[in-house]
Amino acid sequence: MNTNHLSAWQQEEYILQQGADQQTLHHLEECAQCRDAVARLEHGLALFRGAAVKWSSECLAARPAQLRFVPSGRPSVLRWAVAAMVPLVLLLLALVPFHLSGPRPAQPVAQISDDALLEQVDEQVSVAVPSSMESLTHLVSTGSNSSAASPESGSRHFVQTN
Amino acid sequence: MEALERLNYAGEFSPLRDRMIAELEDINTLCATYRSRIYRYALLSLRDPDLAETVTQDCFLRAYKAREEFRGDCSLATWLTRIATNLIRDSTRSRKFQFWKMANSTAVDAGAMADRLRSPGISPEISLVVREQLVKVWDSVEALPDKQRSVFLLRFVEEMELPEIATAMGLRVGTVKSHLHRGLAAVRKAMERTK
Repeated sequence: MNTNHLSAWQQEEYILQQGADQQTLHHLEECAQCRDAVARLEHGLALFRGAAVKWSSECLAARPAQLRFVPSGRPSVLRWAVAAMVPLVLLLLALVPFHLSGPRPAQPVAQISDDALLEQVDEQVSVAVPSSMESLTHLVSTGSNSSAASPESGSRHFVQTN
Repeated sequence: MEALERLNYAGEFSPLRDRMIAELEDINTLCATYRSRIYRYALLSLRDPDLAETVTQDCFLRAYKAREEFRGDCSLATWLTRIATNLIRDSTRSRKFQFWKMANSTAVDAGAMADRLRSPGISPEISLVVREQLVKVWDSVEALPDKQRSVFLLRFVEEMELPEIATAMGLRVGTVKSHLHRGLAAVRKAMERTK
């Protein structure tokens, strides 16, 4: 009796039917122990397959006979439309501030007129004597030359002569 | 038929590719042919009938939309499985799925399933052993990491060939084989505990 039993790997190779050589086949014919081991494994696999097929069939039987295919073109078109809209919206959002600041080019003109007004005010303020009193300054400055022009200068002249 | 399809996958035969593209044009026929298969794969991967339905529907819609990209270098089933694999991966990464997974609300009661599978002619003792075995195997497959479980399901439920699984999962055949060995080791270990 052959006591060199098939290894687990050899038994599995036999089950996979990949490289089951003549020696393995010959051994299986002779060795009941290895034959039983292989048969047990095959039985387990058959049980599993039977259960799997049965379960799948039961689940499938509980479902509609035909798959219902929803035309998938619309979601795809919608997706593209949304994708196209996003940059457009971003562009619009970016343009809004420019649109709102549209009248800004007029601002320098106003600024110029403001500046001119301020300059005028400065000029007016910086003048030592207001224009309304300017005539008086002329009188004072020329008062020493004409004594009759001012009673004040006249009285001064009178005091001096005494 | 399979040999004919293999010729086509190699790009040596175009009429079959044309036929597959024509099949892709008719979404209702496509669903009728492959719905149960894709749904089963999604259901076993996600353990949620509603989510599996959504994934199945999305899978056919995506396939229909991308029908121009189908090169015919694999079968339609493999191509659809690849699309479904990507959708399942996306679903399992979602926060909602993670939440419900944490809450364990999507777990399937393997025991109840075994009861439904019980044949009337089997004795209660044998039925009990079978029930226990199924629960162990089911739990061990559920406990596999996502990728390993997907590969396991495609091989042992959908009975796909290793190169087809590799194409559907975007893996190398060697990697697929490695995942399968790990999955089988887990199942073997689980079954040994029921002896």
